Amino acid sequence: MKKSSLIVAAVLIGVFVLGLANVATAAKKKGPKGVDLYKEYCKPCHEADSDNGEYTPMTMIQDQWERFFDKEFVDSHSAVLDPNHDNKPVTEAISEEDLEKIKAFAIDHAADSEQPMTCG
Amino acid sequence: MTRRIISMLSLLALVALPAAAGKTYSHQEYFEHYEGTSTCLTCHEDEAETFFHSQHYQWTGETPAIVNADGKLLGKKNTINDFCTNPVPAWIGITKNSRGEVLSQGCSKCHAGLGKMPSAEMSREQLENIDCLICHASGYNRTLVENEDGGLEWKPILWKNQEGLDSVSKRITMPKRTSCLRCHSGSGGGPNYKRGDIEYALADTDREFDVHMGTDGGDMACMDCHAGTSHRMRGRGVDLMGSDSPDRLRCGDGACHETAPHAKELLNRHAVRVDCTVCHIPAFAKEDATDMIRDWSTPDYIEEKDKHLATITMGANVEPEIAWYNGTVWAQLPGVPVRTDDEGAIAMVVPQGDRNDANAKLHAFKVHRGMMPVADESHWLLPINVEEFFADGNMDGAVREAAHVVYGIEDFEYGWMPVKRYMGIFHEVQPADNALRCLDCHGPDGRLDWANLGYEADPLAAALTPSH
Ligand code: HEC
Ligand code: HEC
Ligand code: HEC
Ligand code: HEC
Ligand code: HEC
Ligand code: HEC
Ligand code: HEC
Repeated sequence: MKKSSLIVAAVLIGVFVLGLANVATAAKKKGPKGVDLYKEYCKPCHEADSDNGEYTPMTMIQDQWERFFDKEFVDSHSAVLDPNHDNKPVTEAISEEDLEKIKAFAIDHAADSEQPMTCG
Repeated sequence: MTRRIISMLSLLALVALPAAAGKTYSHQEYFEHYEGTSTCLTCHEDEAETFFHSQHYQWTGETPAIVNADGKLLGKKNTINDFCTNPVPAWIGITKNSRGEVLSQGCSKCHAGLGKMPSAEMSREQLENIDCLICHASGYNRTLVENEDGGLEWKPILWKNQEGLDSVSKRITMPKRTSCLRCHSGSGGGPNYKRGDIEYALADTDREFDVHMGTDGGDMACMDCHAGTSHRMRGRGVDLMGSDSPDRLRCGDGACHETAPHAKELLNRHAVRVDCTVCHIPAFAKEDATDMIRDWSTPDYIEEKDKHLATITMGANVEPEIAWYNGTVWAQLPGVPVRTDDEGAIAMVVPQGDRNDANAKLHAFKVHRGMMPVADESHWLLPINVEEFFADGNMDGAVREAAHVVYGIEDFEYGWMPVKRYMGIFHEVQPADNALRCLDCHGPDGRLDWANLGYEADPLAAALTPSH
């Protein structure tokens, strides 16, 4: 690799990292909750009637979400590009920390979580 | 040998993996796929039949405790209350606001059935309509689904996810607190709105909040007090109309506590005329506020939800009101002229008994008040199709629609009248240290209205005053 392109790459990476850091601090200040992260990173591709399948936390039980995040997510999403996040692969668009929060949210609200009902 | 045991153990661990949190349930082996209640009926037809006849399914039942019922079978289905009035006009349906958001799904949401109205005649269709899982499967949740023929049905939210559904439907246990609370803590339209002393907090709480159900206290299930046999519950309370069992469920009749449980003789003397609950439940609605006044005559528009509601006045940490009660009540029934009390309010549910009635004791109540529509000529209490009103705010239309369904009447005039209902307070018993003190009743601002309760004066003052 030529020196100049190395520099370009370094600058790009720097910008990218800084950008990420900015997003992260901005996010921390607002304290993004699992529900908001889900809305930003998952919902756009999985709304009702979506070709990718409709997914909300209530679509699956806790064990299934556990299995999905631990075993399936990378396989099924690393080749899927996310148009809402610079066409990056879904797996790269979301930070590990945020993914943990999304996972916790999905499990807390899974189809088999205990919820009271109200009549309207 | 050891190696063999180890590999067997790991095999067992693998087999056990699909169960939630590693727990195993007997029903994992009883069937392969859950296909609705019919799956349970293959082995439990008898239990389904007993459930069919219960108050929980029929929403009508025998009425030994209602003094003016004349032997009629009554319940939620054929009476009118001052919360959501009557469930029949809005039994099932998806009501949306102008933004297209779902506001409500019908009163069948709290019926242990899959959407069909309970009928008096037993049939295969009715037995298959029973929702066993709502009480017996932890982690079960359901939703209202529109079938291809346009009909509506309550289905497991996992109905399109057979693997998940099979897992949940096999987690069969006797009902847990959460199973009962999913209906009982949300009744009346919101968290703890109706009862006041049956809050969702009871799912997981400490003995400071409730000595019986607190996990560091008795950790009791609802069933430990309420289970009868053959799906008949014990304990109607004060204001429910029908009942599964004629007997009252009481704290101090010897079954759980003795009639004279205290070392202090004076407290035991009190327990003869003062029910245990009066001293031991100093307050209710400790976590979620409860609906104390529901005025249907003054519609309230909640902008953030785009929903029309009655004007509701909430109360938190409410002190119960104290009145005499001998186990029976007078109830305002539909289709008979309303009767008012000395405040001019329609007496929806009035506990019977007074100081001279040896069967009566002072009890703790949530007294719920409100405004309800009453027909001009017949003086009948009128129902409201509350769900229709939630969406369009047209109260007149909602009253006329519901009156048509319930009474079959059309051309009538009506006005609004205050109502009053006594509801017993039996849950959220606090540790003995928090029991009422002498001055809570005998002090100048005491809870008891001595004159109204039939005493010439505070009996403590009388005992202290030397007689002439
Ligand atoms: C850019 C679009 C996109 C985003 C963003 C996205 N997904 Fe997906 N998702 C897909 C596609 C495409 C599939 C594969 C559909 C297929 O195989 O038919 C899929 C499949 C799934 C499945 C089915 C199981 C599987 O592994 O195939 C689940 C569950 C799922 N996604 C959950 C999520 C969650 C949770 C998020 C957020 C962390 C998310 N998805 C973000 C597009 C997306
Ligand atoms: C193949 C027969 C079979 C089927 C199908 C079946 N059960 Fe059972 N069930 C049993 C037997 C046998 C017992 C008693 C022994 C036990 O608890 O395992 C039982 C016990 C129960 C109990 C008491 C549990 C306890 O902890 O004491 C409940 C509640 C119950 N079943 C509900 C259901 C429901 C709901 C379904 C449908 C989802 C169902 N059963 C399907 C055979 C069956
Ligand atoms: C409203 C809650 C509720 C619903 C719905 C319900 N049950 Fe039960 N069930 C109970 C309670 C409480 C008990 C324990 C005491 C009793 O039998 O009344 C019980 C007990 C049982 C038992 C054990 C009986 C015994 O003698 O040990 C079985 C089996 C059972 N139910 C099956 C079913 C089936 C099958 C359905 C659906 C057709 C069903 N239940 C619906 C609350 C419910
Ligand atoms: C320590 C015993 C005990 C426990 C535990 C208990 N209850 Fe009760 N409950 C009572 C008593 C006593 C009554 C009044 C019964 C009577 O008057 O016959 C009552 C009445 C009721 C009533 C009738 C309406 C009312 O409140 O007046 C309902 C509904 C009810 N309980 C539901 C529940 C639920 C749901 C749970 C579990 C979260 C539960 N109960 C736990 C003792 C208990
Ligand atoms: C599907 C919702 C639902 C579930 C689940 C449920 N209940 Fe109920 N329960 C009701 C309704 C509604 C009524 C009032 C029926 C009426 O008045 O006609 C009722 C009435 C009662 C009564 C009064 C019975 C009588 O004889 O008057 C008791 C006690 C009670 N429930 C306790 C429980 C317990 C304990 C559980 C858990 C095992 C439970 N409920 C589960 C909806 C439910
Ligand atoms: C006039 C108020 C009052 C009434 C009525 C009352 N209690 Fe108590 N109770 C108390 C007080 C105050 C204590 C605290 C003990 C003390 O100070 O000696 C107590 C203590 C207790 C204790 C704890 C054990 C003990 O002796 O310290 C239990 C259990 C109890 N009561 C049950 C009941 C039952 C059951 C009833 C109904 C049969 C009942 N109480 C009626 C006021 C009352
Ligand atoms: C829940 C309210 C309540 C509390 C708390 C209460 N009392 Fe009373 N007390 C009553 C009532 C009601 C009567 C009348 C009982 C009757 O009609 O037989 C009474 C009667 C009495 C009497 C006259 C009758 C008798 O049994 O001697 C005395 C004295 C008395 N109370 C003292 C006390 C003392 C001391 C305490 C505190 C340890 C206390 N009370 C706590 C309600 C209460």
